[in-house]
Amino acid sequence: MGKYLVKRLLHGLVSIICVVLIVMVLIYSLLDRNKIFSGDPNYNHTASNARVTYEQSRWEAFGYLDYVPYADYVNELAARGGIDEETRSAAVMLGRTAEKDSEITAQYVAEFTEYYESQGYTVVRLEADAKRNGQLKDGGQPQLFATRDVPLLKRAFSYFTKMFVVDSIHYVPDYIDIGERGISFTLFDPVKNPDGAEKKVFSPAIVGNGTLHKYLLYFDGQFPYIHQNIVTLNLGESYTVNRGVDVFTTMTESQGAYVLSMVTYPTGVPAQRADDLHTATYVQGSREAVASNMEWFEDDYTNVRTVKRGFSRMGYSFVIGIISTVLAYVLGLPIGLLMALKKDKLIDKIGTVYIMFIIAVPSLAYIFLVKAIGGKLGLPTLFDTSSDSKLMYLLPVISLSLTSIASHMRWMRRYMIDQMNSDYVKFARSGGLSEREIFVKHIWKNAAIPIFHGVPTAVIFAMTGAIITERVYSVPGAGNLLTNAINRYDNGVIVGVTLFYAVLSVVALLLGDVIMSLVDPRISFSTKAR
Amino acid sequence: MDINYKELGLTEEELFSRVDHNELESEKITAPRYSYWKSVFRVFFRSKVNIVILGLLLFTVLFAYIYPNVTHYDPYANLMNGAAKHLSPSKAMAYFGKSIHWILGAGASGEPTFDAIWNGSQISISLAFICGAINMTVGVLVGAVWGFSKKVDAFMMEVYNIVGNVPTILIISVMAMLFSPSFWTMVFALTVVGWIGIAYFIRTQVIIIRDREYNLASKCLGTSTFKIALRNILPFMTSIIVTLLATEIPSYISYEVFLAYIGLGMSEMSLGRLIYQAEGAMVTPGWELEFWSPVAIASIIAVVLYVAGQNLGDASDPRTHM
Repeated sequence: MGKYLVKRLLHGLVSIICVVLIVMVLIYSLLDRNKIFSGDPNYNHTASNARVTYEQSRWEAFGYLDYVPYADYVNELAARGGIDEETRSAAVMLGRTAEKDSEITAQYVAEFTEYYESQGYTVVRLEADAKRNGQLKDGGQPQLFATRDVPLLKRAFSYFTKMFVVDSIHYVPDYIDIGERGISFTLFDPVKNPDGAEKKVFSPAIVGNGTLHKYLLYFDGQFPYIHQNIVTLNLGESYTVNRGVDVFTTMTESQGAYVLSMVTYPTGVPAQRADDLHTATYVQGSREAVASNMEWFEDDYTNVRTVKRGFSRMGYSFVIGIISTVLAYVLGLPIGLLMALKKDKLIDKIGTVYIMFIIAVPSLAYIFLVKAIGGKLGLPTLFDTSSDSKLMYLLPVISLSLTSIASHMRWMRRYMIDQMNSDYVKFARSGGLSEREIFVKHIWKNAAIPIFHGVPTAVIFAMTGAIITERVYSVPGAGNLLTNAINRYDNGVIVGVTLFYAVLSVVALLLGDVIMSLVDPRISFSTKAR
Repeated sequence: MDINYKELGLTEEELFSRVDHNELESEKITAPRYSYWKSVFRVFFRSKVNIVILGLLLFTVLFAYIYPNVTHYDPYANLMNGAAKHLSPSKAMAYFGKSIHWILGAGASGEPTFDAIWNGSQISISLAFICGAINMTVGVLVGAVWGFSKKVDAFMMEVYNIVGNVPTILIISVMAMLFSPSFWTMVFALTVVGWIGIAYFIRTQVIIIRDREYNLASKCLGTSTFKIALRNILPFMTSIIVTLLATEIPSYISYEVFLAYIGLGMSEMSLGRLIYQAEGAMVTPGWELEFWSPVAIASIIAVVLYVAGQNLGDASDPRTHM
């Protein structure tokens, strides 16, 4: 069994990699990359050379290519301490044409060109775009940059290798002085024991300096109470849907209004804020950039997440999905059973009409029907995250469960009728078993096998959300993440969401098979398959 | 009872001739002539409900194809006429005069809703039939080979596992962005991976029937695989294929509605597109008909297609021909 499972998992892993490759081909190679500018208001405000560099910078942001402007190269040299400020400001000034470069500029341009061309980049020099009178046009400044398309395999390789990021004390670039780098263990969490606190609160934590996250391991009052930031999952960074945030975080971070509480900042200053100091990450120079950060923080670990009162996207989807899944099993299975027992009677006919209606009619139609009827009955038809009412879940749950109820009814009826007509049931009956015994000991056990096989899929896919239901009731769930990302060309999110779904589907199918083999002792994975 | 043999005008020898035992004749089995498709239609038309449903289906499809062509529907004929927009049936009749065009009122650009939904139906039905035909043909052929050959099975299972995990919405939207979102792009997008699910279903059915005892016996007696497929398995598959077709064709209508609703529809004014554009009208008092008319007609077409197909599928199962 164990060997078989490992084989299946490895197999699934290969499929997942292929899926990601296909999706990358679809979105990066097949689609016209100029499409991303179609809804971009800034694009039309740029002109001349500035438009070329704007295009390049956007394509880099969307993940199509690597783009290095000359100025960035020189500035980084300066930041590393390779050149002094005077040389930097001189070297950064490009001449109108390559011939008009000053001596020092020409030297660094040559270095830049040589370095990046050896890396496989194309170095592009745009000469100044001037009007007849010699003045530069808007955005007509001379430009120099290196650009390189990311090849598919390299993109995929770096995507998979960067998926799990282990935090290290060398996260902050080595040339930046942030004091002593290291990881320290403390029994008294600094967040709960700010400077000047009278009573010490016992709470173990691992704190890092030089790492991305300040708190690598900590306890707090929220499920699952112990949290780690040592290994972070990196499915793909969003650019338009939820800017700069990873797909997984986009799905799992809470939404809605801020929950304010008394937060005591590292400097000991208390404030009524929603910041969760445990989530602090390093942003270079952020303390000095904002006045309030100077007052509250002692270092550059200032980027904190906020505590919000609502569920996450996945949370809302899961709450609605799991209730409707349970409802569907609780209603669908007994009704299907009843239909099978009273075959060709009234209840069977009504049930068949219902199943037919749900299968044939577009789901949009009956979801809107539910919404219209619910609205007439005075139920809330739009989701409101700021409200505490449980009633607003009612209509989405009903809409979502209608389909799965019909499907459970249909299959339960079918399996039951198949089993009831089988020889072993006739034999059991002729042997004198009561109908109840036949059902409980024989029919149900056999009919339940395919039903149990579907349970993990139903539960796991409850959290991916439902596209139409969430749209119709404006639920802030995960169902529309993919369609939103597609509409807004958010390539990182598309790849991340697809990968997430593929992993879920592999795991769900595997779990289904395992459960099936637990329910039915005849099914065994250890012997060779048929 | 007395029978006057003389009246029959036959001689004694003709009336009483000796019939010997014939070894050859006794081997022949006599049964009424059985024609498969004749029996299918006999069973299908035995039920009055089926006749009504089929009549309804023919009427809807013919009406959807003939009516828009006869009336030369132009959605933008009243675009510049501000008074013609969003009219209830009674107001539209009062404004334009009594005619069949206005029995469902007027829509957002002053178009007659009744004409719009039939025009949309024509597009949606065409899409469903074309996609159904392509996907079923490819799916059944590939599925048959897939079910028979173990080598193909191993390869196709991998393809199925991979393609099945690429979100269909993504494929369709990439197609829609690659080409213009026209009718044929939609057909392409729905068929480029649509056949694989059908092929998988057919493959499973083929495997179930392939290993039955009678096929094993047939194989042992030396029947070629091709003949087994054609004579032993295809008759079994007919009812399965018809039943599958009955769920597939309406599903394209529903899927088109779904895609249009999330903004991935085609540029033609199909039913899905009508529903998508009239979504705002649903919550506006007095305008609801603009939304519910295409929804209702899409549902009616889908249900009629589904029921007719399911019942035809039942009738095409030889076990019901007794």
